[in-house]
Amino acid sequence: MAEHTIATSRVGGTWPWFLQRLTAVLLLVFITLHLFIAHFWHVGEEISVDSVSERLRDVAYIVVDLGMLVSVIFHALNGLRTVLFDFDMFVKRKKMLDIGLLVLGIATTVWGIVILLPFLEG
Amino acid sequence: MKLSGFKWLFGRNSEFWPTNIKTGMWAWIGHRVTGLILVAYIFMHLSFLSQAMLGADKFDSLMEVTAQPLMVFLDFLLICAVIFHAMNGLRIILFDMGIGIRHQKVIFWISMAIAAVLVVAAFWAIWDLVFVPAEAV
Repeated sequence: MAEHTIATSRVGGTWPWFLQRLTAVLLLVFITLHLFIAHFWHVGEEISVDSVSERLRDVAYIVVDLGMLVSVIFHALNGLRTVLFDFDMFVKRKKMLDIGLLVLGIATTVWGIVILLPFLEG
Repeated sequence: MKLSGFKWLFGRNSEFWPTNIKTGMWAWIGHRVTGLILVAYIFMHLSFLSQAMLGADKFDSLMEVTAQPLMVFLDFLLICAVIFHAMNGLRIILFDMGIGIRHQKVIFWISMAIAAVLVVAAFWAIWDLVFVPAEAV
């Protein structure tokens, strides 16, 4: 039973633990902004490529979008890593998991940036 | 193997029987379940937005589908998951800073009370889009 009582932060490392908290606080701000902008200010408004393009002319939207993209992907994949460690999975193959998640995270971030392009051109 | 062979694991006296799970454990389970739902959602969200790369008409027609009452209601369920995860996450951060660990149960219920208020606000926000017929808005 002893190995089950080890705190996850000790298995996962201090930096991932700290960055998970930092991105949590950032996401709290970003998601509150995101929900208010998308669902309260523009409630019932039609969403189309044109209307999103119009909004994205403001650089502040792009900065918030990119900040949210990076934070959310880190928080999601590092959260997944924590859950796997909770169930004693990949604890002995930590490096393999880390490389896999890093590649997935970078690929998803690039994907997230690329899909914004049609809106910026529009 | 007979199903009753798993009694020690899932039976009335096991630690996984709902009434034997303590508050802190429920919070932990809830945080994991909502976390995994939100990870799945993020990838779905990005794939939906990717439709714009196939053409403006593809994206616009998909957005019309997502504006339907059932989809907006699913949005509401998503927001409930976000609210639970955020409020319990704040509770975890408090404990990390050494605040309130001894009162974790009370803090759980306070965070859930705040979450309930936010859920009601979210329900109010979607009301017109889900329950009022489109021609009446």
